[in-house]
Amino acid sequence: MMQYHAFLSHPSSSVCPRLSTSTIKSNYSISDKDLESRGFYLRRTPNGLNLAELNNIFAKVGFPRRDPAKVLIALENSHSIVWVEDTGTSKPVAFARAIGDGVFNAVVWDVVVNPSFQGIGLGKVIIERLVDDLLSLGISNITLYAEPKVIGFYRPLGFTADPDGIKGMAYSTKEKPNVILLITLKKKRMVV
Amino acid sequence: MMAECSWLALSSVSSRRLIRSVPCHVQPPNRCSLFSNRHLLGFTSERRERLRFSLKASFWESIRSGFKKNSNTPLQIIETPSTILQDEEVGEDAPFQQEFVLVETTLEDGTIQQIVFSSGGDVDLYDLQTLCDKVGWPRRPLTKVAEALKNSYMVATLHSVKKAPEPEEEDSKQLVGMARATSDHAFNATIWDVLVDPSYQGQGLGKALVEQMIRALLRRDIGNITLFADNKVVEFYKNLGFEADPEGIKGMFWYPKL
Repeated sequence: MMQYHAFLSHPSSSVCPRLSTSTIKSNYSISDKDLESRGFYLRRTPNGLNLAELNNIFAKVGFPRRDPAKVLIALENSHSIVWVEDTGTSKPVAFARAIGDGVFNAVVWDVVVNPSFQGIGLGKVIIERLVDDLLSLGISNITLYAEPKVIGFYRPLGFTADPDGIKGMAYSTKEKPNVILLITLKKKRMVV
Repeated sequence: MMAECSWLALSSVSSRRLIRSVPCHVQPPNRCSLFSNRHLLGFTSERRERLRFSLKASFWESIRSGFKKNSNTPLQIIETPSTILQDEEVGEDAPFQQEFVLVETTLEDGTIQQIVFSSGGDVDLYDLQTLCDKVGWPRRPLTKVAEALKNSYMVATLHSVKKAPEPEEEDSKQLVGMARATSDHAFNATIWDVLVDPSYQGQGLGKALVEQMIRALLRRDIGNITLFADNKVVEFYKNLGFEADPEGIKGMFWYPKL
């Protein structure tokens, strides 16, 4: 019988960033100030996050609508959240969160940008901040699951697919796995 | 098969031993969620509990097939309930507290050795470090490991317990496997750090560990269970029901050290 070195569901400590953690901070694509001048606020807590509106965005990008009570639980148990608020309407227009153990690993989930606000760089803004927040917690193993369409979006942000042959896997239930839809980009526009 | 007959005959004997001496990691209220087999009557808990025998026959077959068939020692597999559901006991965010015997063998000198599955209990950090050393993983600061375990939604362990011949003596216990999962308690969970002591590999214990985790997570209605697997173990997880790159979705890492 095949002997495994370990039933390796990835040893988190073997994946470390090559770059220093301060790299990203000085190189935001759009600064917080610029965002504000365009009418967007960056938020990092669930306070003031309109869950109904978040659910609307999920639906618009093709996620299933979720029980708001469950969404709240999910938010409370995500150790990092970054979202962009449209100051005019106080509604969220972009969102992402990360789940992990707070020390070694984090997985980024539910990265969404309201389709009406796509194409202006908000997705990039969110990921840059989220990665930074995680790095400042000392978490170096930052992962996510990307639909084929958005692999190209994450690459310039520093993400690599299947490094060293490591595979992302999901348990399949009998219905279609409710895995990870991230941003559904319109074909003619790419988030820069 | 002879093993099956001997199981039936011996189960009542071993059950007595199990109640008496397997340590109980459950927090107060003082209940022991350990059961030996379905014939056992009289639980120590005062609360009404339901047993669920939800393991598929194929799972047990896969465990049995992993054992050395040429061994002289009679092999007893205790068919334990995979989970014990406490009525109204556990809140949504309460830790999964379970403990049961996965496998029991009688060694040549007559001592009984058990592999005990446990979740929601304490993990000795030094034991864990020893285990990580055995599988060749790099060491991590113990305080960080403690923190990571604390922040994990579920931590499951396997211990090898050698029963003391005399009732007054203490059993010897050794950590031989561990797995943990992080989760948002609602939708997603990711399994990390699955490891089994190399001397105990090849027996289906890793499978059992992960199976139990999946079971527990699904029971909590956490439907999206994910993990990242080294090339070498992708097949192992496929056999447990995981799919690589489902619908072309790729696992990505931020600046991995290659």
